[in-house]
Amino acid sequence: MQLQSFDESYVERLHAGDFRTQEHFVAYFSELIQLKLRSRLNSPQAIEDVRQETFTRVFAALRDGKLRQPDRLGAFVNSMCNNVLLEHYRASSRSDSLDDDDQPELPDAKVDVLGAIANKQMAEKIRDILEEMPERDRRLLREIFLEERDKDEVCNDFGVDRDYLRVLLHRAKQSFKSLYLKNIEARPPGAVAVGKR
Amino acid sequence: MDHKEAVRQHATERYLLDELDPELRDQFEEHLFDCQDCAMDVRAAAMFVEQSKAILAEPAVALPVRQPAPATVKPGLFAWLRPAFAVPVFALLLAVIGYQNFVTYPKLTAAANQPQAGPWVSVNVETRGAAPIPVKTSAGEGFGLVLNLPPTKDGFASYGVDLYNPAGKLEWSASVPAASSEEGRQIYIPGRNRVSGTYKLVVHGVTAAGKAGEFTEHPIELQIQ
Repeated sequence: MQLQSFDESYVERLHAGDFRTQEHFVAYFSELIQLKLRSRLNSPQAIEDVRQETFTRVFAALRDGKLRQPDRLGAFVNSMCNNVLLEHYRASSRSDSLDDDDQPELPDAKVDVLGAIANKQMAEKIRDILEEMPERDRRLLREIFLEERDKDEVCNDFGVDRDYLRVLLHRAKQSFKSLYLKNIEARPPGAVAVGKR
Repeated sequence: MDHKEAVRQHATERYLLDELDPELRDQFEEHLFDCQDCAMDVRAAAMFVEQSKAILAEPAVALPVRQPAPATVKPGLFAWLRPAFAVPVFALLLAVIGYQNFVTYPKLTAAANQPQAGPWVSVNVETRGAAPIPVKTSAGEGFGLVLNLPPTKDGFASYGVDLYNPAGKLEWSASVPAASSEEGRQIYIPGRNRVSGTYKLVVHGVTAAGKAGEFTEHPIELQIQ
Protein backbone atom coordinates (compact mmCIF):
# COMPACT_ATOMS: atom_id res chain seq x y z
CA MET A 1 0.00 0.00 0.00
CA GLN A 2 1.55 3.18 -1.12
CA LEU A 3 1.51 6.06 1.27
CA GLN A 4 -0.74 8.82 0.09
CA SER A 5 -1.45 12.25 1.46
CA PHE A 6 -4.92 12.64 2.92
CA ASP A 7 -5.56 15.99 1.35
CA GLU A 8 -8.32 17.78 -0.51
CA SER A 9 -7.55 15.97 -3.75
CA TYR A 10 -7.73 12.62 -2.02
CA VAL A 11 -11.05 13.45 -0.41
CA GLU A 12 -12.43 14.64 -3.73
CA ARG A 13 -11.51 11.35 -5.37
CA LEU A 14 -13.05 9.51 -2.48
CA HIS A 15 -16.19 11.58 -2.77
CA ALA A 16 -16.30 10.97 -6.48
CA GLY A 17 -16.21 7.23 -5.91
CA ASP A 18 -12.80 6.61 -7.41
CA PHE A 19 -12.38 2.89 -6.85
CA ARG A 20 -8.62 2.79 -6.31
CA THR A 21 -8.84 5.61 -3.80
CA GLN A 22 -11.61 3.83 -1.99
CA GLU A 23 -9.56 0.63 -1.98
CA HIS A 24 -6.63 2.43 -0.47
CA PHE A 25 -8.81 4.22 2.07
CA VAL A 26 -10.47 1.04 3.31
CA ALA A 27 -7.19 -0.93 3.46
CA TYR A 28 -5.36 1.82 5.29
CA PHE A 29 -7.94 2.53 7.96
CA SER A 30 -9.22 -1.03 8.40
CA GLU A 31 -6.05 -2.10 10.13
CA LEU A 32 -6.02 0.93 12.40
CA ILE A 33 -9.68 0.40 13.31
CA GLN A 34 -9.02 -3.28 14.08
CA LEU A 35 -6.08 -2.37 16.30
CA LYS A 36 -8.22 0.20 18.06
CA LEU A 37 -11.14 -2.15 18.62
CA ARG A 38 -9.32 -5.30 19.69
CA SER A 39 -8.60 -3.87 23.12
CA ARG A 40 -12.21 -2.79 23.50
CA LEU A 41 -14.28 -5.61 22.00
CA ASN A 42 -13.99 -9.29 22.70
CA SER A 43 -15.40 -10.92 19.62
CA PRO A 44 -14.00 -10.72 16.09
CA GLN A 45 -17.57 -10.42 14.83
CA ALA A 46 -18.22 -7.36 16.98
CA ILE A 47 -14.97 -5.84 15.71
CA GLU A 48 -16.00 -6.51 12.12
CA ASP A 49 -19.47 -5.07 12.68
CA VAL A 50 -18.10 -1.84 14.12
CA ARG A 51 -15.51 -1.62 11.35
CA GLN A 52 -18.11 -2.00 8.63
CA GLU A 53 -20.46 0.50 10.28
CA THR A 54 -17.65 3.01 10.64
CA PHE A 55 -16.86 2.97 6.95
CA THR A 56 -20.51 3.11 6.06
CA ARG A 57 -20.98 6.28 8.06
CA VAL A 58 -17.76 7.85 6.80
CA PHE A 59 -18.74 7.35 3.16
CA ALA A 60 -22.19 8.71 3.93
CA ALA A 61 -20.68 11.76 5.60
CA LEU A 62 -18.37 12.33 2.65
CA ARG A 63 -21.28 12.07 0.30
CA ASP A 64 -23.12 14.66 2.37
CA GLY A 65 -20.14 16.98 2.44
CA LYS A 66 -19.80 16.76 6.19
CA LEU A 67 -15.99 16.57 6.17
CA ARG A 68 -14.94 20.18 6.59
CA GLN A 69 -11.17 19.62 6.91
CA PRO A 70 -9.83 17.18 4.32
CA ASP A 71 -6.43 17.01 6.01
CA ARG A 72 -8.15 15.76 9.15
CA LEU A 73 -9.67 12.75 7.38
CA GLY A 74 -7.92 10.38 9.78
CA ALA A 75 -9.23 12.11 12.86
CA PHE A 76 -12.68 12.08 11.25
CA VAL A 77 -12.57 8.32 10.78
CA ASN A 78 -11.38 7.87 14.36
CA SER A 79 -14.13 10.06 15.69
CA MET A 80 -16.74 8.17 13.68
CA CYS A 81 -15.42 4.88 15.00
CA ASN A 82 -15.67 6.16 18.56
CA ASN A 83 -19.31 7.03 17.99
CA VAL A 84 -20.11 3.61 16.54
CA LEU A 85 -18.34 1.97 19.43
CA LEU A 86 -20.33 3.93 21.97
CA GLU A 87 -23.53 2.87 20.28
CA HIS A 88 -22.38 -0.71 20.26
CA TYR A 89 -21.79 -0.53 23.97
CA ARG A 90 -25.30 0.82 24.54
CA ALA A 91 -27.20 -1.61 22.35
CA SER A 92 -26.49 -4.90 20.64
CA SER A 93 -28.59 -3.86 17.63
CA ARG A 94 -28.68 -0.38 16.18
CA SER A 95 -31.99 1.10 15.22
CA ASP A 96 -30.50 4.13 13.51
CA SER A 97 -28.22 2.35 11.10
CA LEU A 98 -28.55 3.12 7.44
CA ASP A 99 -30.79 1.02 5.26
CA ASP A 100 -29.06 -1.85 3.67
CA ASP A 101 -29.91 -0.57 0.24
CA ASP A 102 -28.06 2.65 0.91
CA GLN A 103 -24.99 1.07 2.31
CA PRO A 104 -22.15 1.37 -0.12
CA GLU A 105 -20.39 -1.79 -0.94
CA LEU A 106 -16.97 -1.78 0.51
CA PRO A 107 -14.28 -2.89 -1.88
CA ASP A 108 -13.44 -6.53 -1.35
CA ALA A 109 -9.95 -7.44 -0.35
CA LYS A 110 -8.22 -8.70 -3.45
CA VAL A 111 -6.19 -11.84 -3.50
CA ASP A 112 -2.69 -10.60 -3.71
CA VAL A 113 -0.07 -13.14 -4.64
CA LEU A 114 2.66 -10.58 -4.30
CA GLY A 115 1.42 -9.87 -0.80
CA ALA A 116 1.65 -13.54 0.08
CA ILE A 117 5.30 -13.61 -0.91
CA ALA A 118 5.95 -10.39 0.96
CA ASN A 119 4.20 -11.80 4.02
CA LYS A 120 6.40 -14.87 3.84
CA GLN A 121 9.48 -12.65 3.69
CA MET A 122 8.27 -10.66 6.65
CA ALA A 123 7.50 -13.81 8.62
CA GLU A 124 11.04 -15.04 7.95
CA LYS A 125 12.45 -11.72 9.06
CA ILE A 126 10.48 -11.89 12.29
CA ARG A 127 11.72 -15.43 12.84
CA ASP A 128 15.29 -14.19 12.37
CA ILE A 129 14.73 -11.39 14.87
CA LEU A 130 13.37 -13.86 17.42
CA GLU A 131 16.27 -16.25 16.84
CA GLU A 132 18.75 -13.50 17.54
CA MET A 133 17.13 -12.75 20.88
CA PRO A 134 18.34 -14.42 24.04
CA GLU A 135 16.16 -17.35 25.05
CA ARG A 136 14.96 -15.40 28.07
CA ASP A 137 13.58 -12.58 25.94
CA ARG A 138 11.77 -15.01 23.69
CA ARG A 139 10.15 -16.62 26.71
CA LEU A 140 9.21 -13.19 27.99
CA LEU A 141 7.45 -12.33 24.73
CA ARG A 142 5.77 -15.69 24.66
CA GLU A 143 4.36 -15.23 28.15
CA ILE A 144 3.13 -11.73 27.37
CA PHE A 145 1.74 -12.08 23.85
CA LEU A 146 0.92 -15.74 23.39
CA GLU A 147 -0.12 -16.80 26.85
CA GLU A 148 -1.42 -13.32 27.68
CA ARG A 149 -0.35 -13.50 31.28
CA ASP A 150 -0.49 -10.41 33.44
CA LYS A 151 2.41 -8.24 32.38
CA ASP A 152 3.43 -7.18 35.87
CA GLU A 153 3.51 -10.78 37.01
CA VAL A 154 5.58 -11.84 34.03
CA CYS A 155 8.04 -8.99 34.51
CA ASN A 156 8.33 -9.90 38.17
CA ASP A 157 8.99 -13.55 37.31
CA PHE A 158 11.70 -12.60 34.86
CA GLY A 159 13.20 -9.98 37.11
CA VAL A 160 12.69 -7.14 34.65
CA ASP A 161 10.62 -3.99 34.70
CA ARG A 162 8.07 -2.66 32.22
CA ASP A 163 10.70 -0.43 30.64
CA TYR A 164 12.68 -3.52 29.68
CA LEU A 165 9.64 -5.00 28.01
CA ARG A 166 8.96 -1.77 26.16
CA VAL A 167 12.53 -1.49 24.94
CA LEU A 168 12.52 -5.13 23.85
CA LEU A 169 9.45 -4.55 21.73
CA HIS A 170 10.83 -1.29 20.41
CA ARG A 171 14.08 -2.86 19.26
CA ALA A 172 12.31 -5.78 17.63
CA LYS A 173 9.95 -3.42 15.84
CA GLN A 174 12.83 -1.27 14.62
CA SER A 175 14.61 -4.34 13.24
CA PHE A 176 11.51 -5.35 11.36
CA LYS A 177 10.13 -2.00 10.30
CA SER A 178 12.25 -1.23 7.25
CA LEU A 179 11.32 -4.53 5.59
CA TYR A 180 7.71 -3.97 6.55
CA LEU A 181 7.60 -0.52 4.97
CA LYS A 182 9.35 -1.74 1.86
CA ASN A 183 6.82 -4.52 1.37
CA ILE A 184 3.80 -2.43 2.21
CA GLU A 185 4.72 0.30 -0.25
CA ALA A 186 5.26 -2.23 -3.00
CA ARG A 187 1.73 -3.62 -2.72
CA PRO A 188 -1.11 -2.34 -4.90
CA PRO A 189 -3.62 -0.24 -2.95
CA GLY A 190 -6.25 -2.16 -1.11
CA ALA A 191 -4.51 -5.47 -1.48
CA VAL A 192 -4.22 -7.81 1.38
CA ALA A 193 -2.43 -11.09 1.54
CA VAL A 194 -4.13 -14.35 0.75
CA GLY A 195 -6.08 -15.70 3.62
CA LYS A 196 -6.45 -12.43 5.45
CA ARG A 197 -9.30 -9.97 5.20
CA MET B 1 -0.81 14.52 21.69
CA ASP B 2 1.49 15.57 18.86
CA HIS B 3 4.01 13.41 17.03
CA LYS B 4 6.97 14.49 19.09
CA GLU B 5 5.16 13.65 22.28
CA ALA B 6 4.07 10.28 20.89
CA VAL B 7 7.68 9.40 20.11
CA ARG B 8 8.95 10.70 23.43
CA GLN B 9 6.47 8.60 25.35
CA HIS B 10 7.13 5.45 23.29
CA ALA B 11 3.44 5.57 22.62
CA THR B 12 3.53 2.82 19.98
CA GLU B 13 4.94 0.23 22.36
CA ARG B 14 2.79 1.37 25.26
CA TYR B 15 -0.29 1.30 23.05
CA LEU B 16 0.33 -2.26 21.96
CA LEU B 17 1.14 -3.32 25.51
CA ASP B 18 -2.09 -1.70 26.76
CA GLU B 19 -0.11 0.56 29.05
CA LEU B 20 -1.79 3.83 28.13
CA ASP B 21 -4.52 5.05 30.41
CA PRO B 22 -7.87 5.67 28.65
CA GLU B 23 -7.32 9.38 28.21
CA LEU B 24 -3.81 8.97 26.77
CA ARG B 25 -4.99 6.09 24.64
CA ASP B 26 -7.73 8.22 23.10
CA GLN B 27 -5.26 11.04 22.49
CA PHE B 28 -2.79 8.71 20.84
CA GLU B 29 -5.44 7.16 18.64
CA GLU B 30 -6.61 10.59 17.50
CA HIS B 31 -3.02 11.36 16.54
CA LEU B 32 -2.47 7.88 15.08
CA PHE B 33 -5.34 8.15 12.60
CA ASP B 34 -3.89 11.39 11.30
CA CYS B 35 -0.16 10.60 11.36
CA GLN B 36 1.06 8.13 8.74
CA ASP B 37 4.45 7.75 10.46
CA CYS B 38 2.90 6.64 13.71
CA ALA B 39 0.34 4.55 11.86
CA MET B 40 3.08 2.63 10.07
CA ASP B 41 5.01 2.30 13.31
CA VAL B 42 2.04 0.78 15.08
CA ARG B 43 1.21 -1.49 12.15
CA ALA B 44 4.77 -2.79 11.92
CA ALA B 45 4.86 -3.46 15.65
CA ALA B 46 1.43 -5.10 15.55
CA MET B 47 2.48 -7.34 12.70
CA PHE B 48 5.61 -8.30 14.61
CA VAL B 49 3.53 -9.20 17.65
CA GLU B 50 1.00 -11.23 15.65
CA GLN B 51 3.60 -13.15 13.72
CA SER B 52 5.67 -13.72 16.85
CA LYS B 53 2.70 -15.43 18.47
CA ALA B 54 2.58 -17.91 15.62
CA ILE B 55 6.31 -18.57 15.76
CA LEU B 56 6.51 -18.77 19.53
CA ALA B 57 3.56 -21.16 19.55
CA GLU B 58 5.42 -23.64 17.38
CA PRO B 59 5.89 -26.81 19.34
CA ALA B 60 8.98 -28.35 20.76
CA VAL B 61 11.88 -27.10 18.67
CA ALA B 62 13.82 -24.52 20.61
CA LEU B 63 14.89 -21.70 18.38
CA PRO B 64 18.64 -21.65 18.08
CA VAL B 65 20.31 -18.62 19.47
CA ARG B 66 22.56 -17.21 16.84
CA GLN B 67 25.93 -16.39 18.23
CA PRO B 68 27.49 -13.30 16.78
CA ALA B 69 30.53 -14.02 14.66
CA PRO B 70 33.61 -13.81 16.82
CA ALA B 71 35.28 -10.50 16.40
CA THR B 72 38.60 -10.69 14.64
CA VAL B 73 41.21 -9.86 17.15
CA LYS B 74 44.04 -7.87 15.74
CA PRO B 75 47.38 -9.17 16.89
CA GLY B 76 48.17 -6.19 19.04
CA LEU B 77 51.18 -5.38 21.04
CA PHE B 78 50.44 -8.01 23.63
CA ALA B 79 49.39 -10.80 21.28
CA TRP B 80 52.44 -12.78 22.33
CA LEU B 81 50.95 -13.08 25.79
CA ARG B 82 48.29 -15.47 24.53
CA PRO B 83 48.58 -18.77 26.38
CA ALA B 84 48.99 -20.83 23.21
CA PHE B 85 52.14 -18.90 22.45
CA ALA B 86 53.37 -17.76 25.82
CA VAL B 87 53.37 -21.12 27.63
CA PRO B 88 55.87 -22.93 25.40
CA VAL B 89 58.05 -19.84 25.22
CA PHE B 90 58.18 -19.51 28.99
CA ALA B 91 58.87 -23.22 29.33
CA LEU B 92 61.84 -22.83 27.00
CA LEU B 93 63.12 -19.82 28.93
CA LEU B 94 62.92 -21.77 32.17
CA ALA B 95 64.90 -24.60 30.62
CA VAL B 96 67.61 -22.21 29.46
CA ILE B 97 67.81 -20.49 32.86
CA GLY B 98 67.96 -23.86 34.58
CA TYR B 99 70.80 -25.08 32.36
CA GLN B 100 72.75 -21.89 32.90
CA ASN B 101 72.33 -22.01 36.68
CA PHE B 102 72.97 -25.68 37.14
CA VAL B 103 75.50 -26.43 34.43
CA THR B 104 77.16 -23.46 32.82
CA TYR B 105 77.78 -21.19 35.80
CA PRO B 106 79.15 -23.91 38.05
CA LYS B 107 81.60 -24.88 35.31
CA LEU B 108 82.71 -21.29 34.89
CA THR B 109 83.05 -20.82 38.61
CA ALA B 110 85.07 -23.97 38.92
CA ALA B 111 87.33 -22.91 36.10
CA ALA B 112 87.81 -19.51 37.65
CA ASN B 113 88.68 -21.02 41.00
CA GLN B 114 91.32 -23.34 39.58
CA PRO B 115 94.98 -22.28 40.07
CA GLN B 116 96.28 -20.85 36.81
CA ALA B 117 99.45 -22.30 35.46
CA GLY B 118 101.24 -21.03 32.39
CA PRO B 119 104.04 -18.82 31.07
CA TRP B 120 104.51 -15.39 32.65
CA VAL B 121 106.14 -12.35 31.12
CA SER B 122 107.19 -9.11 32.73
CA VAL B 123 106.14 -5.72 31.25
CA ASN B 124 107.72 -2.44 32.41
CA VAL B 125 104.79 -0.06 32.10
CA GLU B 126 106.81 3.17 32.09
CA THR B 127 108.85 2.31 29.04
CA ARG B 128 107.67 1.73 25.53
CA GLY B 129 108.74 -1.67 24.33
CA ALA B 130 110.32 -1.65 20.92
CA ALA B 131 110.97 -5.33 20.60
CA PRO B 132 108.04 -7.71 20.99
CA ILE B 133 107.93 -9.73 24.20
CA PRO B 134 107.92 -13.45 23.21
CA VAL B 135 105.34 -15.74 24.83
CA LYS B 136 104.99 -19.43 24.02
CA THR B 137 101.77 -21.22 24.97
CA SER B 138 99.83 -24.33 24.07
CA ALA B 139 96.50 -24.16 22.31
CA GLY B 140 93.83 -22.89 24.74
CA GLU B 141 96.44 -22.09 27.36
CA GLY B 142 96.56 -18.57 28.75
CA PHE B 143 99.57 -16.58 29.88
CA GLY B 144 100.39 -14.22 32.70
CA LEU B 145 101.58 -10.63 32.63
CA VAL B 146 103.46 -8.99 35.45
CA LEU B 147 102.99 -5.27 35.09
CA ASN B 148 105.75 -3.31 36.79
CA LEU B 149 103.89 -0.22 37.87
CA PRO B 150 105.64 2.93 39.09
CA PRO B 151 104.71 4.37 42.42
CA THR B 152 101.64 6.55 42.34
CA LYS B 153 102.44 9.64 40.32
CA ASP B 154 100.61 12.26 38.34
CA GLY B 155 97.49 11.49 40.38
CA PHE B 156 96.80 8.17 38.63
CA ALA B 157 94.36 6.17 40.67
CA SER B 158 94.45 3.18 38.37
CA TYR B 159 95.75 1.87 35.08
CA GLY B 160 93.71 0.68 32.15
CA VAL B 161 95.16 -2.36 30.35
CA ASP B 162 93.96 -3.27 26.86
CA LEU B 163 95.00 -6.25 24.70
CA TYR B 164 94.65 -5.99 20.94
CA ASN B 165 94.89 -9.06 18.72
CA PRO B 166 97.07 -9.27 15.61
CA ALA B 167 94.15 -7.86 13.55
CA GLY B 168 94.06 -4.76 15.74
CA LYS B 169 90.76 -5.69 17.43
CA LEU B 170 90.38 -5.13 21.16
CA GLU B 171 90.10 -8.54 22.78
CA TRP B 172 90.48 -7.88 26.43
CA SER B 173 90.44 -4.97 28.93
CA ALA B 174 91.18 -4.72 32.65
CA SER B 175 91.62 -2.05 35.31
CA VAL B 176 94.53 -2.29 37.70
CA PRO B 177 94.75 -0.12 40.85
CA ALA B 178 97.82 2.07 41.15
CA ALA B 179 100.57 0.92 43.45
CA SER B 180 101.68 2.86 46.47
CA SER B 181 105.24 1.70 45.88
CA GLU B 182 107.02 0.12 43.02
CA GLU B 183 105.54 -3.26 42.71
CA GLY B 184 104.23 -5.59 40.06
CA ARG B 185 100.65 -6.34 39.34
CA GLN B 186 99.85 -9.75 37.94
CA ILE B 187 97.25 -10.21 35.27
CA TYR B 188 96.27 -13.57 33.80
CA ILE B 189 95.14 -13.48 30.23
CA PRO B 190 92.88 -16.44 29.40
CA GLY B 191 93.82 -18.64 26.49
CA ARG B 192 90.55 -18.44 24.49
CA ASN B 193 90.71 -19.06 20.82
CA ARG B 194 93.97 -17.21 20.42
CA VAL B 195 96.07 -17.32 17.30
CA SER B 196 99.76 -16.93 16.89
CA GLY B 197 100.85 -13.42 16.11
CA THR B 198 101.84 -10.06 17.48
CA TYR B 199 99.43 -8.74 20.12
CA LYS B 200 99.57 -5.21 21.46
CA LEU B 201 99.28 -4.41 25.13
CA VAL B 202 98.29 -0.79 25.77
CA VAL B 203 98.58 0.63 29.28
CA HIS B 204 97.36 4.07 30.29
CA GLY B 205 96.98 5.83 33.61
CA VAL B 206 93.52 6.90 34.81
CA THR B 207 93.04 9.70 37.31
CA ALA B 208 90.60 9.55 40.15
CA ALA B 209 88.32 11.75 38.07
CA GLY B 210 88.41 9.16 35.29
CA LYS B 211 90.63 11.15 32.97
CA ALA B 212 93.04 9.07 30.92
CA GLY B 213 96.73 9.95 30.91
CA GLU B 214 99.58 8.95 28.61
CA PHE B 215 99.75 5.44 27.46
CA THR B 216 102.46 3.01 26.53
CA GLU B 217 102.29 0.21 24.01
CA HIS B 218 104.00 -3.14 24.40
CA PRO B 219 104.01 -5.70 21.56
CA ILE B 220 103.70 -9.37 22.62
CA GLU B 221 104.67 -12.09 20.18
CA LEU B 222 102.44 -15.04 20.97
CA GLN B 223 103.46 -18.39 19.65
CA ILE B 224 100.97 -21.17 20.07
CA GLN B 225 102.63 -24.52 19.91
